[in-house]
Amino acid sequence: MSARQLLERHRRALLFTLALAVMSPVFGVYLAELAGYHEPLDIAAEALGLREITEEINWTPLFDYTVPGLPDWLGYIVSGFIGVSAVLVLGLLLLRLLK
Amino acid sequence: MHIPDGFLDPVTCAATYLIALAFGVVAFRRAKPASDEAKLLVPVLAAAIFVAQMLNWPLPGGTSLHLVGGALSAILVGPWLGYFVMLLVLLVQALVFHDGGITTLGANVLNMGIVAVFTGYLVYRAFPERWRVAGAFLAGWLSLTLAGLVCGVELGLSSLAGQFLYGFSVTLPVMGGWHALLGLIEGAITAAVYAYLRARAPALVAGGRV
Repeated sequence: MSARQLLERHRRALLFTLALAVMSPVFGVYLAELAGYHEPLDIAAEALGLREITEEINWTPLFDYTVPGLPDWLGYIVSGFIGVSAVLVLGLLLLRLLK
Repeated sequence: MHIPDGFLDPVTCAATYLIALAFGVVAFRRAKPASDEAKLLVPVLAAAIFVAQMLNWPLPGGTSLHLVGGALSAILVGPWLGYFVMLLVLLVQALVFHDGGITTLGANVLNMGIVAVFTGYLVYRAFPERWRVAGAFLAGWLSLTLAGLVCGVELGLSSLAGQFLYGFSVTLPVMGGWHALLGLIEGAITAAVYAYLRARAPALVAGGRV
């Protein structure tokens, strides 16, 4: 199972995925800022006084789907493309192991 | 539902890593005999779920939601390959974007890659063929609700370690209650995608049988 087979068999699904990545800042940046991103985990953690240490031990320049030097919306799209590429590369490696 | 670094105590982190790794070994053995068609779907599905998780939908009441995709993965490629679909997503999110912690990666894999995937699969398979769209809806709903509850248990255990004795009374209702509500949307998306694929690409839907 190779990258070529993957592209031949699932070309449309991959193109659809990349199209979603291009649209993603509407939901992941614009609407999130408008409504304030807040999920149940944050509510529980706040009630327990738990403290996130994510920023203190950060190791990646692409923290939280941002790219240094790019506006948030463009960084989000670029992050989407980088993430999709990384998932596909790791996925193809996994398929070799699963042969 | 991605637990960041700092929320879980070391014992819970270690225990959830052990469970996730042990499960990974079993899943690897059980996934090997799967068809090439199902295996080839794993990277594509993982890429699609990765992007779908970037689409946050704000909801009235000050919360927001994105698809988790555990049930959908299990329905399309079966639970053993479904584990690897979610593992790929969670690994890239944590390692490349620090979305979800590195110390809590085991817990996140347990919640979204094991609990959500297997709950989704078992519920979906419990329905006869002609009721499978309803089964996909319930699979999505229950997968998110139970994953949220297990996440609540992990937070509760960690708060016990931090001398916060009433942790469970906070974490279980908040995580279980909210995710039972948000799960309705997870269920609706799972059922919609399943119904679309069953009509347009039935071979993909059949790939989940183990």
